[in-house]
Amino acid sequence: MQLISSLTDGLLLGFVYGVAAMGLTLIWGVMTVINLAHGPVIALGMFGTYLFFTHLGLNPYLALAPVALFGLLLGFIIYGMAVHRVINAPHLSSLLATFAVNMIIIGLGTAIFSTSPQNIDYSLGSMQIGFLTIPFSRLLATLGAVLFTAALYLFLYFTRPGKAIRAVANNRRAAELMGIPSSQVLALSFGLGTMLAAVAGGLIATFFPFTILSGGPYELKSFVICVLGGLGNPLGALLGGLILGGLEGLIPTFMPVSWVPVVEFGLFVLVLLVKPSGLLGAK
Amino acid sequence: MNLLEINDLTSGYEGVQILWGVNLSLEKGKLTTLVGSNGVGKTTLLSTVMGLLRPWQGTVNFEGKDVTNLPAHARAKAGMVLVPEGRQLFTEMTVLENLEMGAFSPRARVSFKQNLDKVFELFPRLKERAKQKAGTLSGGEQQMVAVSRGLMAEPEILFLDELSLGLSPLLALTLFESLTRLKKTGLTMLLVEQNVSMALAVSDYAYVLAEGRVHLEGPARDLLKNDEVRRTYLGI
Ligand SMILES: Nc1ncnc2c1ncn2[C@@H]1O[C@H](COP(=O)(O)OP(=O)(O)OP(=O)(O)O)[C@@H](O)[C@H]1O
Ligand SMILES: [Mg+2]
Repeated sequence: MQLISSLTDGLLLGFVYGVAAMGLTLIWGVMTVINLAHGPVIALGMFGTYLFFTHLGLNPYLALAPVALFGLLLGFIIYGMAVHRVINAPHLSSLLATFAVNMIIIGLGTAIFSTSPQNIDYSLGSMQIGFLTIPFSRLLATLGAVLFTAALYLFLYFTRPGKAIRAVANNRRAAELMGIPSSQVLALSFGLGTMLAAVAGGLIATFFPFTILSGGPYELKSFVICVLGGLGNPLGALLGGLILGGLEGLIPTFMPVSWVPVVEFGLFVLVLLVKPSGLLGAK
Repeated sequence: MNLLEINDLTSGYEGVQILWGVNLSLEKGKLTTLVGSNGVGKTTLLSTVMGLLRPWQGTVNFEGKDVTNLPAHARAKAGMVLVPEGRQLFTEMTVLENLEMGAFSPRARVSFKQNLDKVFELFPRLKERAKQKAGTLSGGEQQMVAVSRGLMAEPEILFLDELSLGLSPLLALTLFESLTRLKKTGLTMLLVEQNVSMALAVSDYAYVLAEGRVHLEGPARDLLKNDEVRRTYLGI
């Protein structure tokens, strides 16, 4: 009983992890850049939702729309200012560039918001299914995560710009030769990646307290998830998110909570050693 | 009228100069072949003309306009289309999606349906494979997709780099036949081919590239009779 209820909790959270990881994996898949500013953008998503809620009285779930838009625009800016000029340089350059963005956001965020924890005081109660008690906030966050995942999928497979993203990811030179402006497509992909990060942050903020530093752990989780699901594979990211969420639910029923990261990163190393292409990836 | 004019083009890779002043012009509606031994710089020339490589010096004029500084995607939009060496398909996407990407630019989008029908008529095999991932096709089928994707872009001028490389003689023949059919529709083409005799046989005009420059040029049937060409490129 306790087991099932912990597992459910974890899985619901796993969907949200999946959204964050999808953002990271999308950017890697299209331009082989590891975005080290992912965590701070997640945190900005948390603060965005918080500000819309406390200052404008906007329902936190409705606030996801402007937060998503903000994430998209922020992505364009980060891409234009920090990533575009190093897009063809060795990986270390883009790592350093996004790390610099990471430091800038954290620095500014600390100055503006301080590092004392905030939370969104918006309670919806919970739902009882048999012995399961599920807070509505978790349920809605899961729903939001599923909606954004489905929207991303539909966008990538059924719209012109979405297909252009896949084409650029697959073969950038050939895409240019077909008249696809690859720089614009890269900017769009980066924008979507950071949008997903901001949305994931917004969803998490509806049930956990947070500071400007809170994005870090989720960025690390995103890395683990991306490796589980295969870097560059959005569907794999969702699956990886569920696995990680499930583990986080289950582990504390067997051992102290402090062991969670040990198991997670143990798994991370194990997958890297045994099947580096990810659980869903090709051999 | 010359659709494309290449003037004194020089280019290369990080300090290695490959092209040393190439002059070449393509007449509208004509099929031209570019001949040259391995590694002489034919692909480099096409990459520079398309804007994938930055020219060091010289100009490229298309339809009377200087396109030397346009990015590759803008040249494609203007009607310059390259079917690149090694196909360069979107291997993770379906055949149909590859064709859709071929028709990405606005000028091609409006006539997508008609062009798709034309391409399927040219290569009926592709219609059966439309929903299959391009990377899973055979080499010959992939080459058909590469040519079709180029045609979907509704080119004013089509550059074809090593069309028949790695194909069976029969398939190569099929592709060459499709070229002569395309020529009848008035399409201007520049062909780079290993199979020099076949290429010259279907071409109107030809250039021979050697040592980074145009070494010889003339009507294709004259070059077929030229002793040096026969010795060096036809092995006769
Ligand atoms: N990316 C590159 N970087 C450095 N040198 C290159 C690069 N690509 C080609 N080269 C060199 O430039 C020269 C010309 O190559 P290119 O591919 O243009 O020849 P080609 O005439 O197309 O040959 P082939 O008939 O084999 O296709 C070769 O010596 C090749 O080694
Ligand atoms: Mg070549």
